[in-house]
Amino acid sequence: MDVQNTASFSSIATLSVIQMRNVSASYDSKSFVLKNVSMNVERGTNYAIVGASGSGKSTLLKLMNGMMIPSDGVVLYNYQKPDLKNKQYKKSISKIGYIPQTLGLVKNSSVLDNVMIGGLPRLNSINSFFKNFPKEEIQHAHDILKLVGLHEKSNRKVHMLSGGEKRRVAIARALMQNPDILLADEIVSELDAVTAREIMTVIRDAQKKFNLTAIMIHHDMNLALEYANRVAVIKDGDKVLELGVEGEKIIDFQTGDMTKKEIWEMYNEPKK
Amino acid sequence: MNPKNNLLIGAIIAVVVVMSYDVGVDPIAFAEGLPNLGIVLKEMTEFESEHWGTAFWAMLETIEMAFIGTILGVVISLPLSIFAARNISSKYVYAPLRALLAATRTFPSILWAILFVIVVGLGPFAGILAITLYTIGFISKLQYESIEAIDYDPVEATTAIGLSKLQLIRYVIIPESAPHLLSQILYMFDYNVRQTSILGIVGAGGIGFYIINYIKFFEYGKAAVFMLVVLITVLVIDWVSVKIRDKYIMKAQHGQQVKVKTN
Repeated sequence: MDVQNTASFSSIATLSVIQMRNVSASYDSKSFVLKNVSMNVERGTNYAIVGASGSGKSTLLKLMNGMMIPSDGVVLYNYQKPDLKNKQYKKSISKIGYIPQTLGLVKNSSVLDNVMIGGLPRLNSINSFFKNFPKEEIQHAHDILKLVGLHEKSNRKVHMLSGGEKRRVAIARALMQNPDILLADEIVSELDAVTAREIMTVIRDAQKKFNLTAIMIHHDMNLALEYANRVAVIKDGDKVLELGVEGEKIIDFQTGDMTKKEIWEMYNEPKK
Repeated sequence: MNPKNNLLIGAIIAVVVVMSYDVGVDPIAFAEGLPNLGIVLKEMTEFESEHWGTAFWAMLETIEMAFIGTILGVVISLPLSIFAARNISSKYVYAPLRALLAATRTFPSILWAILFVIVVGLGPFAGILAITLYTIGFISKLQYESIEAIDYDPVEATTAIGLSKLQLIRYVIIPESAPHLLSQILYMFDYNVRQTSILGIVGAGGIGFYIINYIKFFEYGKAAVFMLVVLITVLVIDWVSVKIRDKYIMKAQHGQQVKVKTN
């Protein structure tokens, strides 16, 4: 491996925000969705997880934000164990922006109300019950909406939006959490190629602006290689490959340098 | 048609025949008595038009009672339905509450009206209490069922964000279950107007008091005036609620209005 490249990758960041050590996960305690996966996400990385359906990608994200507890091994978020039952962790969890594959938007609420949800954990429960928000929080929500390009539609009900716009709302809600990590599960999979790239650009802009670490699941190796600087390939619950991406150059941490084309041919699943 | 279906249909007919015999269904009595209906209908057409005014005010009272009862009932059932929803509340809260709500629905509002006449005396107030109680039982059930049927994705996503329970109810549960509320309220009001129209029979106020008394004294011409007012009112309310549904509910739920067939 090229020494200089390894150096440049390690110099991106020094602090790891998410560490997984020999993690296994199971939904029914018989078959394992993830088997002995280790992973280290450093601050500021644009991390992509790629794999076929059912390979365990979504489970990986749920482990990272504590919605699932590993059956074996540890997951550390800022060197802390995620656990939704732990009050201390529940406070810090609002710092993990999470966009599930279903987006989880409240369809009958307005765009602005959906975005405000991201800020609720830091707001007083009683005041927020009466929609009595501090002025600066409302301004913050509007600023974020401007950033994702939905400023004009802040009063529109979510069920009236297009697929791309719904994703922008979900991104805005996650940004409203003032996160340091953004987790997104196949956020562009169901979109056409043009809209998918628009959404990815929105995320990249937001990432630069707020200095985020992004961990995104992709179905499409092409997109992953285009927007990420680290790519992990998951196959049958196993991390089979980890790549570093820098422009056109790709470093396979196991086999050495390859081109994007070669990687794509090797790991992009043929369409059935 | 396959023979299994024939067997089933035959069995249902047999059961109906046996049950009819058991409760004394008598077609001959119906045929012999039919001319009586003709007499009643003929007398009913002899309107005594000086009663229109009384009928109008009695109907207004009925509508007022139904409206107050519906609104009170809805206001009380909203918090109750959250406590009665199995996906939000603890078993020790929802189980007894559901049993209590089921109990209020067990008896029709006219039975509750009899009880409340004993408690607060004759008059519309007893009727309002009866309507309120029945509305609570009914709307709570409809609401906790729509709360239990809400999409679970937003709940999961917002839990991951770290919302408190109160915030979850306010920003996810209520908006997700509310679109059905307006149509439920309209339905309930419609139903309550018809219910309140007969509460007068037990002395709990409203137009039913006149209807039952005129029928008792064989004054079908007077009773007919009051019955006609009820009929017109129910038709008008039905028409208005269709308009409201079209304008607000369909648009809110589907983003478009109903396409009404014109031919």
